This record gives sequence, structure tokens and C-alpha cells, in this order.
Amino acid sequence: MDIYREDILDHYENPRNMGELVDPDYEGRDSNASCGDMIQFQLKMEDEVIKEVKWKGIGCAITTAAASKLSEFLKGKTLSDLQKMSCEEIVEEGIGFKVNPGRMKCLTLPVRVFKKIWES
Amino acid sequence: MCMSFDPQIIKKDFPILNRLVNGKPLVYLDSGATSQKPQSVIDAIVGYYREHNANVHRGAHTLGDESTALYHKARQKIAQFIGAKSQKEIIFVRNTSEALNLVASAWGSENLGEGDVILTTQMEHHSNIVPWQILATTKRARVELIAVKNDGFLDMDDFERKLKLKPKIVGIVHVSNALGTVNPIKEMTKMAHKVGALVVVDGAQSVPHMKIEVSDLGCDFFAFSGHKVLAPMGSGVLWGRKELLELMPPYMGGGGMISEVHESGFVAGELPDKFEAGTPNVEAAIGLMVAVEYLEKLGMDSVREHDKSIVKYALCALGGLSEVELLGTKEVEKRSGSVSFVYKGVHAHDVATILDSEGVAVRSGHHCTMPLHEVMGVVASIRASFNVYTTKEDIDRLIEALAKVKKVFGK
Repeated sequence: MDIYREDILDHYENPRNMGELVDPDYEGRDSNASCGDMIQFQLKMEDEVIKEVKWKGIGCAITTAAASKLSEFLKGKTLSDLQKMSCEEIVEEGIGFKVNPGRMKCLTLPVRVFKKIWES
Repeated sequence: MCMSFDPQIIKKDFPILNRLVNGKPLVYLDSGATSQKPQSVIDAIVGYYREHNANVHRGAHTLGDESTALYHKARQKIAQFIGAKSQKEIIFVRNTSEALNLVASAWGSENLGEGDVILTTQMEHHSNIVPWQILATTKRARVELIAVKNDGFLDMDDFERKLKLKPKIVGIVHVSNALGTVNPIKEMTKMAHKVGALVVVDGAQSVPHMKIEVSDLGCDFFAFSGHKVLAPMGSGVLWGRKELLELMPPYMGGGGMISEVHESGFVAGELPDKFEAGTPNVEAAIGLMVAVEYLEKLGMDSVREHDKSIVKYALCALGGLSEVELLGTKEVEKRSGSVSFVYKGVHAHDVATILDSEGVAVRSGHHCTMPLHEVMGVVASIRASFNVYTTKEDIDRLIEALAKVKKVFGK
């Protein structure tokens, strides 16, 4: 099945950048009311650039793989570049895989957390 | 009663069950969320719009009379189906949630005060918790929950303890939508009545599977959704004891619910109109009548026997898989309608998506029972839920599809 293709399962089974930062500059979390899944993102900045990203949470394969992929995407980006992007663009460029409408909330949870950090 | 109950034949009455999903024949195991509808119900809805549609209780013309007569006939049928003494005790609403909100709002506005206790259970659907929490906030009352034990039953000792708080009203789910547990409503109602509490029962998951006699249960209010009982969406029922409904203020104001309106105020109409402001969902009420007639032809005793046989088969088949952890009791006599489980090491949503790829529709998540899932220590579970058209072959297909989960996740 398409959404459980190998690279997604690889991110699920070996999630990148999982863990916690000692002294993060930014931190945010959000959950999906429909399933109780929770994701936390922490960022460490150097000037305007995201130097370190750590995330943790409870989630399905889609949420986990999406958070893992997003964490890789965020590293090295500047805040002002990211601010110019919409949620849809971050999903497309930063996560890079699609799911059917019923699973969109799983896919977008990590992006919503990131946007929340943003807006706060 | 029907002499032989054959779900393979019953299935043919439900056109949607012929369709393919992702190239595979659909196996619909999400009847607890909403049931599919037989052709007779679909025909009744179409027939109503083709031949009788007009607003009810208004206008002296033939269509209006026909529509009103059908709406009344539907109410009488539902009254008889659940053993109500009078059709005046049947209030048509959209769903169980609306029925429970009606009780919380209308009864609560005049009968609950500061410091009063509302008792409900950890097993409830959010619709029998949140309306009470809203009411408690406005009235400065408090909501207490009866504990659920690890075996999937309510803790009756805890119930007894909490009755000492002298609750004004007790809300109990008849059949748990997440665990399938059948709660001892009759016994609990007697206990609650002894301390002077009223009892409101959420019958959303019991009405589809067993004969309901509200007078036998002894409760004061009983709510259910027609759309889980083979009827259209937007059909729901609140039954209440007439003497209680008569004392309650209206829930919503508008057309149809008044007897007089003046600049200085209004006089509410009689039951059941008092609680049915605005144009009702006539099509849904007629659909529910026809759905009930369909179930009566099958015989509710046979419906319950079939329910138990499917639950037993599913418990046995799923219980044989080492990756599956079943939720709730193994006592089939005390279960109805569904089997929920956790697939070890794989999230419920991932399981559901893979099952869907095999044409098998299940529910995944917390099934609107977050407090219960917290107690069980489970974030999300998978629920296979049944109705009269569910066959043992459907369960076999579920088991086959679960093998794909193992293949994808290697677990």
C-alpha cells in the first residue's frame, strides 16, 4: 500500500531527531482530539537559523514519519523563510507524502505544532 | 418471530453492501457508528418525497394531512417498539446526543442547583458526560463518575458509595460503545430511585440489538439514535416519563411548540409538540418507522441471538491472534454489538487504514470515550461493530486483512 511504502516505514521505525533539548529556544505541542496522539517540537536557534530540532510524542506511523521528516526539513532553515510558507507548502516540501482525507489530521499534526510555536 | 435468521439473506436487503472498496467487496464493521439502511427504508424516504411531502401540523390540504398522518404513525410505531405507555412520551430529535442535551438542559434548568451532584460513569460516550459538565458549570453543580473495573464492568461498590452523595440524576450507558458491556440498567435504576435520583439511559448501542421495554427497565428517560437502527441519519428519539416531561420547560422555542403566543409571553404546547420546535425531520421519522418494521419482521429475539453469535465468533477469532489484545469482558451474555481491540505495537489508525485497503471498514480512535480509554491506559483502539447483516464470513475477512498489518509492519 502506497502510504506505508518503505521510506515512510523507515522513518516510523527509525525516527530522526527524536528526543529532547536541554535548553530549547522554542517549544510547542499539540494533540489530535480524535485519537489522543500528541507531538512536541523543540528548536534551538543560531541567529535566524534553526540549528537543532528535537521532537517526541505518541503517534501512529503517519504522524511519526511526518514528524521525523519535518524535523529533517526544518534543520538549517531560517525562520523568515519558513514564515513565508503555508501549512500546505510545508506538508508538501517538508513531509513529501500524501494520505487520504481521513488521515490528514495525522499527517498535519507535526506541522500544526510547528506553526503553533511560530505564532506564539 | 422469524423462523430462521440468515444474515446472508438479510445482507441482500442492503444495497450498499454490494459495493467494492479499494477493489475488494466491502466488509462493513462500523455499524456502531452508523448502520447501513435496507432497501425498504431507502424506498420509504424516496416515496415520502415523491408522493407525500408537505409540512406537518400546518395547512388544510391533502398533502399536509398525509404527511402529518405519517409522522404520527411513525411516533406510534416507535412508542410500541420500545414499550412506551403513550406516543406523547416519544420526542423526535436528531440523535442520542440531542436527546441527552434536551434532558440536561430542560430538566436541569429547573431541577438542579448549586452543590448538587450529577452521577454518570467512566464508560459513557462523551454525549452522556459533556452535557452534564456544561450543566454543572452553569449551575455550580458537580459531575461524579462511577468507576469502570478492569474486567469491563461498572464498579457496583463505587456506584453504591456515590449514591450516598444523593445525586439528583444518574446517566448510564445501556451498552458501552467501546467495550460492548451490557450494563444492569434495571438493578441500577432501582438503586438510584431508592435515593431519589432520576435515571437517564443512553440506549444508542442497545436498541439496534435487543428488545427494549422502557417500562421494564424502570428508567425515567431513554435516548437512542435511529441511524444506528437501520434508519436515516437525523432520526433520534427521547423517551421520557410523561409526568416528568410535562413538568419540564421547553428546550427550544419556535413554531410548532406553542399553544399561544402574545406580546407578553407564550403558552407552551402539549406533549410531544412542546419539545419539537420548528419543522421536524419527517422523512427520518418515517424511515425509522420502516426500519423498526423491518427489525420486527426479523424478530428482536432473533436479532439478539445473532448479535451474541457474531460477538462470540469475533472474540474467538480475534482472541486467537497473539498480536491482538481484546478489550472488555469475555462473557458473551453480557456483551453486545462490538468487539474492540488493540493491535500490539501498531497504532489503531494505521491498522484501520490497512484494513480499509482490504475493503474492511472499522472504527479507530477513542470512539468518543476518552475518560474510558484513559482508565484502560489505551490511547486508541480498533472497534469492529455489527448489525443484522454481519456474517461470520465478514469476521473471517477481518482476520485475513489483519494478516496484512503483520506483513506491512513486520509485527
